[in-house]
Amino acid sequence: MEGEEDLSNPIKTLDPASSHPKHTAMLERLSNRKQPFLSRNPDSHPFESTNSFLSRFSQSKHSIDSDLTRCRQSTDPDSKSTLKSDLEAVSISISDLEKLVAENSYFLPSYEVRTCLQTISSLKQSLENVTSEVVPKKKFAFKSKKASSGVVDKTEIENHEIDLEKPSFIVPDLPGFRNMENEVLVKEFKGSEMGEFSISDLNSCEVRLTGCLRAIFIHRLKNCKVYTGPVFGSVLIEEVEGCVFVLASHQIRVHHARASDFYLRVRSRPIIEDCSGVRFAPYCLSYDGIERDLKESNLDEETGNWANVDDFKWLKAVQSPNWEILPESESVGGVIILNSDK
Amino acid sequence: MGLLSIIRKIKRKEKEMRILMVGLDNSGKTTIVLKINGEDTSVISPTLGFNIKTIAYNKYTLNIWDVGGQRTIRSYWRNYFEQTDGLVWVVDSSDLRRLDDCKFELHNLLKEERLSGASLLIFANKQDIQGALSPDEITKVLNLEALDKTRHWKIIGCSAYTGEGLLEGFDWLVQDIASRIYVLD
Repeated sequence: MEGEEDLSNPIKTLDPASSHPKHTAMLERLSNRKQPFLSRNPDSHPFESTNSFLSRFSQSKHSIDSDLTRCRQSTDPDSKSTLKSDLEAVSISISDLEKLVAENSYFLPSYEVRTCLQTISSLKQSLENVTSEVVPKKKFAFKSKKASSGVVDKTEIENHEIDLEKPSFIVPDLPGFRNMENEVLVKEFKGSEMGEFSISDLNSCEVRLTGCLRAIFIHRLKNCKVYTGPVFGSVLIEEVEGCVFVLASHQIRVHHARASDFYLRVRSRPIIEDCSGVRFAPYCLSYDGIERDLKESNLDEETGNWANVDDFKWLKAVQSPNWEILPESESVGGVIILNSDK
Repeated sequence: MGLLSIIRKIKRKEKEMRILMVGLDNSGKTTIVLKINGEDTSVISPTLGFNIKTIAYNKYTLNIWDVGGQRTIRSYWRNYFEQTDGLVWVVDSSDLRRLDDCKFELHNLLKEERLSGASLLIFANKQDIQGALSPDEITKVLNLEALDKTRHWKIIGCSAYTGEGLLEGFDWLVQDIASRIYVLD
Protein backbone atom coordinates (compact mmCIF):
# COMPACT_ATOMS: atom_id res chain seq x y z
CA MET A 1 0.00 0.00 0.00
CA GLU A 2 2.65 2.49 0.93
CA GLY A 3 4.66 1.71 -2.13
CA GLU A 4 1.73 2.43 -4.37
CA GLU A 5 1.14 5.75 -2.79
CA ASP A 6 4.76 6.74 -3.12
CA LEU A 7 4.59 5.99 -6.76
CA SER A 8 1.47 7.89 -7.41
CA ASN A 9 2.49 11.02 -5.46
CA PRO A 10 4.80 12.70 -7.97
CA ILE A 11 2.11 12.66 -10.58
CA LYS A 12 -0.61 13.88 -8.36
CA THR A 13 1.23 16.87 -6.98
CA LEU A 14 1.30 18.33 -10.40
CA ASP A 15 -2.32 19.05 -10.16
CA PRO A 16 -3.07 19.32 -6.46
CA ALA A 17 -6.41 21.03 -6.64
CA SER A 18 -8.10 18.49 -8.71
CA SER A 19 -6.19 15.33 -8.00
CA HIS A 20 -5.83 15.58 -4.16
CA PRO A 21 -9.01 16.54 -2.36
CA LYS A 22 -7.38 16.47 1.07
CA HIS A 23 -4.72 18.94 0.08
CA THR A 24 -7.27 21.20 -1.52
CA ALA A 25 -9.36 21.26 1.56
CA MET A 26 -6.32 22.16 3.59
CA LEU A 27 -5.42 25.03 1.30
CA GLU A 28 -8.93 26.24 1.43
CA ARG A 29 -8.98 26.20 5.14
CA LEU A 30 -5.71 28.08 5.27
CA SER A 31 -6.90 30.74 2.93
CA ASN A 32 -10.12 31.00 4.89
CA ARG A 33 -8.22 31.49 8.01
CA LYS A 34 -6.14 34.21 6.43
CA GLN A 35 -9.16 35.89 5.02
CA PRO A 36 -10.40 37.67 8.11
CA PHE A 37 -6.99 39.23 8.71
CA LEU A 38 -6.71 40.36 5.20
CA SER A 39 -10.19 41.68 5.02
CA ARG A 40 -10.10 43.27 8.45
CA ASN A 41 -6.79 45.02 8.26
CA PRO A 42 -6.69 46.86 5.06
CA ASP A 43 -10.34 47.05 4.20
CA SER A 44 -12.64 48.20 6.94
CA HIS A 45 -10.69 50.05 9.67
CA PRO A 46 -7.29 51.54 9.01
CA PHE A 47 -7.60 54.09 6.29
CA GLU A 48 -11.19 54.85 6.67
CA SER A 49 -10.89 54.85 10.46
CA THR A 50 -7.79 56.97 10.57
CA ASN A 51 -9.48 59.48 8.40
CA SER A 52 -12.67 59.47 10.39
CA PHE A 53 -10.71 59.68 13.61
CA LEU A 54 -8.71 62.63 12.33
CA SER A 55 -11.79 64.46 11.26
CA ARG A 56 -13.47 63.79 14.58
CA PHE A 57 -10.37 64.91 16.39
CA SER A 58 -10.06 68.16 14.51
CA GLN A 59 -13.77 68.85 15.04
CA SER A 60 -13.42 68.55 18.79
CA LYS A 61 -10.27 70.61 18.69
CA HIS A 62 -12.05 73.40 16.85
CA SER A 63 -14.95 73.42 19.24
CA ILE A 64 -12.57 73.54 22.20
CA ASP A 65 -10.62 76.32 20.56
CA SER A 66 -13.71 78.36 19.97
CA ASP A 67 -14.90 77.75 23.53
CA LEU A 68 -11.58 78.97 24.82
CA THR A 69 -11.70 82.07 22.67
CA ARG A 70 -15.19 82.80 23.89
CA CYS A 71 -14.07 82.44 27.49
CA ARG A 72 -11.13 84.71 26.91
CA GLN A 73 -13.22 87.40 25.30
CA SER A 74 -16.00 87.44 27.80
CA THR A 75 -15.31 90.50 29.89
CA ASP A 76 -18.79 90.83 31.18
CA PRO A 77 -18.54 90.60 34.97
CA ASP A 78 -21.96 88.95 35.21
CA SER A 79 -20.74 85.98 33.22
CA LYS A 80 -17.90 85.43 35.68
CA SER A 81 -19.83 82.87 37.61
CA THR A 82 -20.63 80.81 34.52
CA LEU A 83 -17.09 81.25 33.30
CA LYS A 84 -15.70 78.87 35.77
CA SER A 85 -18.08 76.09 34.82
CA ASP A 86 -17.43 76.85 31.15
CA LEU A 87 -13.72 76.41 31.69
CA GLU A 88 -14.37 73.22 33.56
CA ALA A 89 -16.43 71.95 30.65
CA VAL A 90 -13.54 72.76 28.32
CA SER A 91 -11.16 70.94 30.55
CA ILE A 92 -13.46 67.93 30.50
CA SER A 93 -13.69 67.93 26.71
CA ILE A 94 -9.93 68.13 26.46
CA SER A 95 -9.54 65.10 28.64
CA ASP A 96 -12.25 63.35 26.59
CA LEU A 97 -10.23 64.09 23.51
CA GLU A 98 -7.15 62.71 25.16
CA LYS A 99 -9.06 59.55 25.97
CA LEU A 100 -10.21 59.27 22.38
CA VAL A 101 -6.61 59.39 21.17
CA ALA A 102 -5.57 56.78 23.70
CA GLU A 103 -8.42 54.47 22.71
CA ASN A 104 -7.60 54.66 19.02
CA SER A 105 -3.83 54.77 19.28
CA TYR A 106 -3.54 51.02 18.59
CA PHE A 107 -4.32 51.42 14.92
CA LEU A 108 -3.19 54.99 14.33
CA PRO A 109 0.09 55.59 12.62
CA SER A 110 2.57 56.72 15.21
CA TYR A 111 2.97 60.08 13.49
CA GLU A 112 -0.72 60.82 13.92
CA VAL A 113 -0.62 59.81 17.56
CA ARG A 114 2.27 62.14 18.21
CA THR A 115 0.60 65.04 16.44
CA CYS A 116 -2.63 64.49 18.30
CA LEU A 117 -0.91 64.39 21.66
CA GLN A 118 0.95 67.58 20.83
CA THR A 119 -2.30 69.25 19.91
CA ILE A 120 -3.84 68.15 23.19
CA SER A 121 -0.97 69.45 25.26
CA SER A 122 -1.13 72.78 23.47
CA LEU A 123 -4.87 72.87 24.12
CA LYS A 124 -4.21 72.25 27.78
CA GLN A 125 -1.66 75.01 27.82
CA SER A 126 -4.02 77.49 26.26
CA LEU A 127 -6.76 76.47 28.68
CA GLU A 128 -4.40 77.19 31.51
CA ASN A 129 -3.52 80.54 29.99
CA VAL A 130 -7.13 81.49 29.58
CA THR A 131 -7.95 80.36 33.08
CA SER A 132 -5.19 82.40 34.65
CA GLU A 133 -6.12 85.35 32.45
CA VAL A 134 -9.81 85.40 33.08
CA VAL A 135 -9.93 83.96 36.54
CA PRO A 136 -6.65 84.76 38.26
CA LYS A 137 -7.08 81.54 40.12
CA LYS A 138 -3.59 80.81 41.28
CA LYS A 139 -2.94 84.18 42.74
CA PHE A 140 -6.33 84.20 44.30
CA ALA A 141 -5.96 80.78 45.86
CA PHE A 142 -2.59 81.66 47.28
CA LYS A 143 -3.89 84.83 48.81
CA SER A 144 -6.95 83.19 50.25
CA LYS A 145 -4.80 80.48 51.81
CA LYS A 146 -2.59 83.04 53.41
CA ALA A 147 -5.55 84.98 54.60
CA SER A 148 -7.19 81.89 56.06
CA SER A 149 -4.06 80.88 57.93
CA GLY A 150 -3.92 84.38 59.30
CA VAL A 151 -7.49 84.01 60.47
CA VAL A 152 -6.60 80.77 62.20
CA ASP A 153 -3.78 82.49 64.00
CA LYS A 154 -6.10 85.20 65.08
CA THR A 155 -8.70 82.83 66.41
CA GLU A 156 -5.99 80.94 68.18
CA ILE A 157 -4.89 84.10 69.85
CA GLU A 158 -8.46 84.91 70.69
CA ASN A 159 -8.96 81.43 72.06
CA HIS A 160 -5.91 81.88 74.14
CA GLU A 161 -7.15 85.17 75.47
CA ILE A 162 -10.49 83.62 76.27
CA ASP A 163 -8.69 80.74 77.92
CA LEU A 164 -6.86 83.09 80.17
CA GLU A 165 -10.04 84.85 81.15
CA LYS A 166 -12.25 81.82 81.46
CA PRO A 167 -11.06 80.27 84.69
CA SER A 168 -11.38 83.52 86.59
CA PHE A 169 -15.06 83.89 85.86
CA ILE A 170 -16.04 80.29 86.03
CA VAL A 171 -14.04 78.99 88.95
CA PRO A 172 -15.59 79.82 92.27
CA ASP A 173 -13.56 80.13 95.43
CA LEU A 174 -13.36 77.23 97.81
CA PRO A 175 -14.36 77.89 101.37
CA GLY A 176 -11.25 78.99 103.19
CA PHE A 177 -9.08 81.56 104.91
CA ARG A 178 -7.14 83.92 102.66
CA ASN A 179 -5.24 87.18 102.57
CA MET A 180 -4.80 87.82 106.28
CA GLU A 181 -2.11 88.85 108.68
CA ASN A 182 -1.60 88.40 112.42
CA GLU A 183 -4.88 86.62 113.00
CA VAL A 184 -6.06 83.53 114.79
CA LEU A 185 -8.41 81.73 112.41
CA VAL A 186 -10.66 79.05 113.84
CA LYS A 187 -13.15 76.72 112.20
CA GLU A 188 -14.93 73.66 113.42
CA PHE A 189 -16.18 71.10 110.92
CA LYS A 190 -19.17 69.01 111.84
CA GLY A 191 -19.74 65.56 110.37
CA SER A 192 -22.25 66.71 107.77
CA GLU A 193 -20.10 69.30 106.08
CA MET A 194 -17.10 67.13 105.36
CA GLY A 195 -15.84 69.26 102.52
CA GLU A 196 -12.63 70.78 101.32
CA PHE A 197 -10.89 73.82 102.67
CA SER A 198 -8.41 76.27 101.30
CA ILE A 199 -5.83 78.24 103.28
CA SER A 200 -3.85 80.75 101.27
CA ASP A 201 -1.87 83.97 101.39
CA LEU A 202 -1.54 84.27 105.15
CA ASN A 203 1.20 85.96 107.06
CA SER A 204 1.91 85.30 110.74
CA CYS A 205 -1.44 83.67 111.38
CA GLU A 206 -2.54 80.74 113.44
CA VAL A 207 -5.12 78.41 111.88
CA ARG A 208 -7.08 75.90 113.93
CA LEU A 209 -9.36 73.47 112.11
CA THR A 210 -11.16 70.85 114.15
CA GLY A 211 -13.39 68.02 112.97
CA CYS A 212 -13.07 65.92 109.82
CA LEU A 213 -12.34 67.24 106.36
CA ARG A 214 -12.10 65.76 102.88
CA ALA A 215 -9.22 67.79 101.50
CA ILE A 216 -7.09 70.80 102.35
CA PHE A 217 -5.23 73.05 99.93
CA ILE A 218 -2.57 75.30 101.46
CA HIS A 219 -0.77 77.99 99.43
CA ARG A 220 1.66 80.79 100.18
CA LEU A 221 1.90 80.97 103.93
CA LYS A 222 4.61 82.77 105.81
CA ASN A 223 5.40 82.30 109.50
CA CYS A 224 2.10 80.61 110.18
CA LYS A 225 0.96 77.82 112.45
CA VAL A 226 -1.62 75.42 111.06
CA TYR A 227 -3.33 72.82 113.24
CA THR A 228 -5.91 70.54 111.68
CA GLY A 229 -8.06 67.60 112.57
CA PRO A 230 -8.01 64.48 110.38
CA VAL A 231 -8.29 64.85 106.61
CA PHE A 232 -9.90 61.90 104.93
CA GLY A 233 -8.47 62.69 101.50
CA SER A 234 -5.28 64.53 100.76
CA VAL A 235 -3.44 67.65 101.80
CA LEU A 236 -1.56 69.73 99.26
CA ILE A 237 0.88 72.31 100.57
CA GLU A 238 2.67 74.77 98.27
CA GLU A 239 5.02 77.71 98.79
CA VAL A 240 5.26 77.97 102.52
CA GLU A 241 8.07 79.39 104.59
CA GLY A 242 8.84 79.43 108.30
CA CYS A 243 5.66 77.57 109.19
CA VAL A 244 4.58 74.84 111.57
CA PHE A 245 1.99 72.29 110.44
CA VAL A 246 0.26 69.72 112.58
CA LEU A 247 -1.73 67.53 110.19
CA ALA A 248 -3.32 64.11 109.96
CA SER A 249 -4.23 62.91 106.48
CA HIS A 250 -4.31 60.00 104.08
CA GLN A 251 -1.92 61.69 101.67
CA ILE A 252 0.36 64.68 102.08
CA ARG A 253 2.25 66.46 99.32
CA VAL A 254 4.55 69.38 100.05
CA HIS A 255 5.90 71.56 97.22
CA HIS A 256 8.27 74.52 97.49
CA ALA A 257 8.47 74.63 101.28
CA ARG A 258 11.35 76.23 103.09
CA ALA A 259 12.35 76.04 106.74
CA SER A 260 9.13 74.54 108.01
CA ASP A 261 8.22 71.83 110.49
CA PHE A 262 5.59 69.16 109.83
CA TYR A 263 4.02 67.11 112.63
CA LEU A 264 2.21 64.44 110.68
CA ARG A 265 0.13 61.35 110.86
CA VAL A 266 -0.17 59.85 107.37
CA ARG A 267 -1.60 56.62 106.01
CA SER A 268 0.82 56.74 103.08
CA ARG A 269 4.29 58.12 102.55
CA PRO A 270 4.44 61.93 102.61
CA ILE A 271 6.28 63.47 99.69
CA ILE A 272 8.24 66.66 99.22
CA GLU A 273 9.28 68.33 95.99
CA ASP A 274 11.47 71.42 95.61
CA CYS A 275 11.78 71.78 99.37
CA SER A 276 14.64 72.64 101.66
CA GLY A 277 15.13 72.73 105.39
CA VAL A 278 11.90 70.91 106.15
CA ARG A 279 11.66 68.73 109.26
CA PHE A 280 9.24 65.99 110.22
CA ALA A 281 7.82 64.75 113.50
CA PRO A 282 4.82 62.70 114.67
CA TYR A 283 1.34 64.22 114.98
CA CYS A 284 0.73 65.85 118.32
CA LEU A 285 -2.62 67.60 118.23
CA SER A 286 -5.36 67.08 120.73
CA TYR A 287 -8.78 68.60 121.19
CA ASP A 288 -12.00 67.39 122.65
CA GLY A 289 -13.26 64.56 120.44
CA ILE A 290 -10.14 64.12 118.31
CA GLU A 291 -10.01 60.38 119.04
CA ARG A 292 -13.45 59.94 117.54
CA ASP A 293 -12.59 62.08 114.51
CA LEU A 294 -9.36 60.17 113.92
CA LYS A 295 -11.18 56.87 114.13
CA GLU A 296 -13.87 58.07 111.76
CA SER A 297 -11.22 59.10 109.25
CA ASN A 298 -9.29 55.87 109.59
CA LEU A 299 -6.37 57.75 111.06
CA ASP A 300 -6.48 56.48 114.61
CA GLU A 301 -3.47 54.28 114.09
CA GLU A 302 0.07 55.63 114.15
CA THR A 303 1.73 54.17 111.08
CA GLY A 304 5.11 55.78 111.56
CA ASN A 305 4.90 57.02 107.98
CA TRP A 306 5.59 60.57 109.12
CA ALA A 307 9.28 59.65 108.87
CA ASN A 308 9.05 57.86 105.49
CA VAL A 309 9.40 60.98 103.40
CA ASP A 310 9.95 60.67 99.64
CA ASP A 311 11.84 63.56 98.11
CA PHE A 312 11.05 63.78 94.40
CA LYS A 313 14.08 65.99 93.98
CA TRP A 314 16.37 63.42 95.50
CA LEU A 315 15.86 60.06 93.83
CA LYS A 316 18.83 58.40 95.49
CA ALA A 317 19.28 55.80 98.15
CA VAL A 318 21.14 58.09 100.51
CA GLN A 319 19.25 60.47 102.77
CA SER A 320 18.02 63.62 101.06
CA PRO A 321 19.69 66.82 102.27
CA ASN A 322 16.37 68.62 101.90
CA TRP A 323 14.60 67.17 104.92
CA GLU A 324 15.35 65.66 108.31
CA ILE A 325 13.65 64.25 111.35
CA LEU A 326 12.94 66.92 113.89
CA PRO A 327 15.04 66.32 117.01
CA GLU A 328 12.82 65.68 120.01
CA SER A 329 14.50 68.45 121.95
CA GLU A 330 13.21 70.98 119.43
CA SER A 331 9.71 69.55 119.19
CA VAL A 332 6.78 71.60 120.37
CA GLY A 333 5.78 68.53 122.37
CA GLY A 334 2.04 68.80 122.03
CA VAL A 335 -0.61 71.19 120.83
CA ILE A 336 -3.89 71.35 122.66
CA ILE A 337 -6.86 73.22 121.28
CA LEU A 338 -9.19 73.91 124.16
CA ASN A 339 -12.93 74.13 123.68
CA SER A 340 -12.79 77.76 124.62
CA ASP A 341 -10.41 78.36 121.74
CA LYS A 342 -12.73 76.90 119.11
CA MET B 1 3.64 45.40 55.39
CA GLY B 2 3.96 48.47 57.52
CA LEU B 3 5.07 48.30 61.09
CA LEU B 4 1.70 49.60 62.14
CA SER B 5 -0.16 46.76 60.52
CA ILE B 6 2.17 44.22 62.09
CA ILE B 7 1.54 45.74 65.47
CA ARG B 8 -2.17 45.73 64.80
CA LYS B 9 -2.05 42.08 63.88
CA ILE B 10 -0.20 41.14 67.02
CA LYS B 11 -2.58 43.15 69.10
CA ARG B 12 -5.58 41.64 67.41
CA LYS B 13 -4.36 38.23 68.33
CA GLU B 14 -3.81 39.09 71.95
CA LYS B 15 -6.68 41.55 72.28
CA GLU B 16 -4.44 43.82 74.25
CA MET B 17 -4.85 47.49 74.86
CA ARG B 18 -2.29 49.81 76.29
CA ILE B 19 -3.71 52.54 78.42
CA LEU B 20 -1.76 55.43 79.86
CA MET B 21 -3.03 57.19 82.98
CA VAL B 22 -1.76 60.72 83.35
CA GLY B 23 -2.71 63.92 85.12
CA LEU B 24 -1.42 66.23 87.81
CA ASP B 25 -0.28 64.84 91.13
CA ASN B 26 -3.06 64.31 93.65
CA SER B 27 -5.66 63.79 90.91
CA GLY B 28 -6.33 60.16 91.89
CA LYS B 29 -4.77 58.12 89.07
CA THR B 30 -3.49 55.30 91.25
CA THR B 31 -6.68 55.21 93.27
CA ILE B 32 -8.74 54.84 90.09
CA VAL B 33 -6.61 51.96 88.85
CA LEU B 34 -6.70 50.14 92.18
CA LYS B 35 -10.40 50.77 92.61
CA ILE B 36 -11.28 49.40 89.19
CA ASN B 37 -9.16 46.37 89.94
CA GLY B 38 -11.00 45.85 93.20
CA GLU B 39 -8.01 46.51 95.43
CA ASP B 40 -7.69 48.34 98.71
CA THR B 41 -7.47 52.08 98.14
CA SER B 42 -7.03 53.22 101.72
CA VAL B 43 -3.23 53.38 101.71
CA ILE B 44 -1.84 54.90 98.54
CA SER B 45 1.36 56.89 98.53
CA PRO B 46 2.02 59.50 95.87
CA THR B 47 3.45 57.57 92.96
CA LEU B 48 7.21 57.79 92.73
CA GLY B 49 7.80 56.37 89.25
CA PHE B 50 5.01 54.27 87.80
CA ASN B 51 2.78 51.22 88.32
CA ILE B 52 1.64 48.73 85.71
CA LYS B 53 -1.59 46.84 86.10
CA THR B 54 -2.84 44.17 83.76
CA ILE B 55 -6.58 43.86 84.00
CA ALA B 56 -8.92 41.53 82.13
CA TYR B 57 -11.76 43.76 80.99
CA ASN B 58 -14.58 42.10 79.08
CA LYS B 59 -12.78 40.17 76.35
CA TYR B 60 -9.78 42.47 76.36
CA THR B 61 -6.58 42.65 78.34
CA LEU B 62 -5.83 46.15 79.51
CA ASN B 63 -2.26 47.09 80.25
CA ILE B 64 -2.68 50.15 82.39
CA TRP B 65 0.37 52.32 82.92
CA ASP B 66 -0.16 54.59 85.89
CA VAL B 67 2.53 57.25 85.83
CA GLY B 68 3.32 59.59 88.70
CA GLY B 69 2.11 63.14 88.26
CA GLN B 70 4.50 65.15 90.45
CA ARG B 71 6.00 68.03 88.55
CA THR B 72 9.52 66.61 88.72
CA ILE B 73 8.57 63.40 87.00
CA ARG B 74 6.11 64.77 84.42
CA SER B 75 9.00 65.07 81.99
CA TYR B 76 9.25 61.27 82.05
CA TRP B 77 5.69 60.83 80.77
CA ARG B 78 7.09 60.89 77.25
CA ASN B 79 8.79 57.56 77.90
CA TYR B 80 5.41 55.89 78.03
CA PHE B 81 3.81 57.36 74.92
CA GLU B 82 4.81 54.65 72.46
CA GLN B 83 1.98 52.40 71.31
CA THR B 84 -0.56 53.98 73.61
CA ASP B 85 -4.09 53.07 72.52
CA GLY B 86 -5.95 54.98 75.18
CA LEU B 87 -5.13 58.01 77.25
CA VAL B 88 -6.83 58.64 80.57
CA TRP B 89 -6.43 62.17 81.84
CA VAL B 90 -7.45 62.47 85.46
CA VAL B 91 -8.53 65.81 86.90
CA ASP B 92 -8.95 66.65 90.55
CA SER B 93 -12.23 68.54 90.11
CA SER B 94 -11.90 70.00 93.59
CA ASP B 95 -8.44 71.49 93.06
CA LEU B 96 -9.71 74.70 91.54
CA ARG B 97 -6.48 76.62 91.89
CA ARG B 98 -4.47 74.24 89.76
CA LEU B 99 -6.95 73.85 86.90
CA ASP B 100 -4.84 76.22 84.81
CA ASP B 101 -1.85 74.02 85.41
CA CYS B 102 -3.96 71.01 84.54
CA LYS B 103 -5.15 72.57 81.30
CA PHE B 104 -1.65 73.53 80.28
CA GLU B 105 -0.28 70.05 80.89
CA LEU B 106 -3.16 68.40 79.04
CA HIS B 107 -2.91 70.52 75.93
CA ASN B 108 0.85 70.15 76.02
CA LEU B 109 0.47 66.39 76.15
CA LEU B 110 -1.97 66.28 73.26
CA LYS B 111 0.55 67.99 70.99
CA GLU B 112 2.56 64.79 71.17
CA GLU B 113 2.49 63.07 67.81
CA ARG B 114 2.82 59.59 69.26
CA LEU B 115 -0.47 60.10 71.08
CA SER B 116 -2.33 61.56 68.13
CA GLY B 117 -4.33 58.41 67.48
CA ALA B 118 -5.08 57.57 71.09
CA SER B 119 -8.62 57.82 72.42
CA LEU B 120 -8.83 60.32 75.25
CA LEU B 121 -10.92 59.75 78.36
CA ILE B 122 -11.03 62.59 80.84
CA PHE B 123 -12.06 61.66 84.35
CA ALA B 124 -13.42 64.60 86.31
CA ASN B 125 -12.51 62.88 89.55
CA LYS B 126 -13.48 63.61 93.15
CA GLN B 127 -17.10 64.39 92.32
CA ASP B 128 -17.94 63.15 95.80
CA ILE B 129 -16.24 66.21 97.34
CA GLN B 130 -18.39 69.23 98.07
CA GLY B 131 -17.49 72.11 95.81
CA ALA B 132 -15.99 69.96 93.05
CA LEU B 133 -16.65 71.27 89.55
CA SER B 134 -19.04 69.28 87.36
CA PRO B 135 -17.81 67.59 84.16
CA ASP B 136 -19.47 70.37 82.14
CA GLU B 137 -17.61 73.01 84.07
CA ILE B 138 -14.35 71.10 83.70
CA THR B 139 -15.01 70.90 79.94
CA LYS B 140 -15.22 74.67 79.82
CA VAL B 141 -12.26 75.33 82.07
CA LEU B 142 -10.01 72.92 80.20
CA ASN B 143 -11.33 74.23 76.88
CA LEU B 144 -11.98 70.71 75.65
CA GLU B 145 -14.23 71.90 72.85
CA ALA B 146 -11.13 73.29 71.20
CA LEU B 147 -9.53 69.88 70.89
CA ASP B 148 -8.59 68.60 67.48
CA LYS B 149 -11.72 67.44 65.66
CA THR B 150 -10.14 64.11 64.84
CA ARG B 151 -9.59 63.28 68.48
CA HIS B 152 -11.95 60.77 70.06
CA TRP B 153 -12.58 62.10 73.54
CA LYS B 154 -15.09 61.97 76.33
CA ILE B 155 -15.32 63.46 79.78
CA ILE B 156 -16.92 61.56 82.62
CA GLY B 157 -17.45 62.63 86.20
CA CYS B 158 -16.31 60.04 88.67
CA SER B 159 -15.27 59.35 92.20
CA ALA B 160 -12.37 57.01 92.69
CA TYR B 161 -13.38 56.95 96.34
CA THR B 162 -16.90 55.60 95.77
CA GLY B 163 -16.13 54.02 92.38
CA GLU B 164 -18.92 55.94 90.68
CA GLY B 165 -18.39 56.60 86.98
CA LEU B 166 -15.25 54.51 86.66
CA LEU B 167 -16.80 51.63 84.76
CA GLU B 168 -18.75 53.97 82.54
CA GLY B 169 -15.51 55.68 81.62
CA PHE B 170 -13.55 52.52 80.95
CA ASP B 171 -16.47 51.06 78.98
CA TRP B 172 -16.39 54.00 76.65
CA LEU B 173 -12.60 53.92 76.34
CA VAL B 174 -12.40 50.20 75.61
CA GLN B 175 -15.26 50.39 73.11
CA ASP B 176 -13.71 53.31 71.34
CA ILE B 177 -10.31 51.66 71.10
CA ALA B 178 -11.84 48.38 70.01
CA SER B 179 -13.78 50.05 67.23
CA ARG B 180 -10.53 51.48 65.92
CA ILE B 181 -8.19 48.52 66.32
CA TYR B 182 -10.39 45.49 66.07
CA VAL B 183 -12.67 46.67 63.31
CA LEU B 184 -12.42 43.36 61.52
CA ASP B 185 -13.81 41.29 64.38
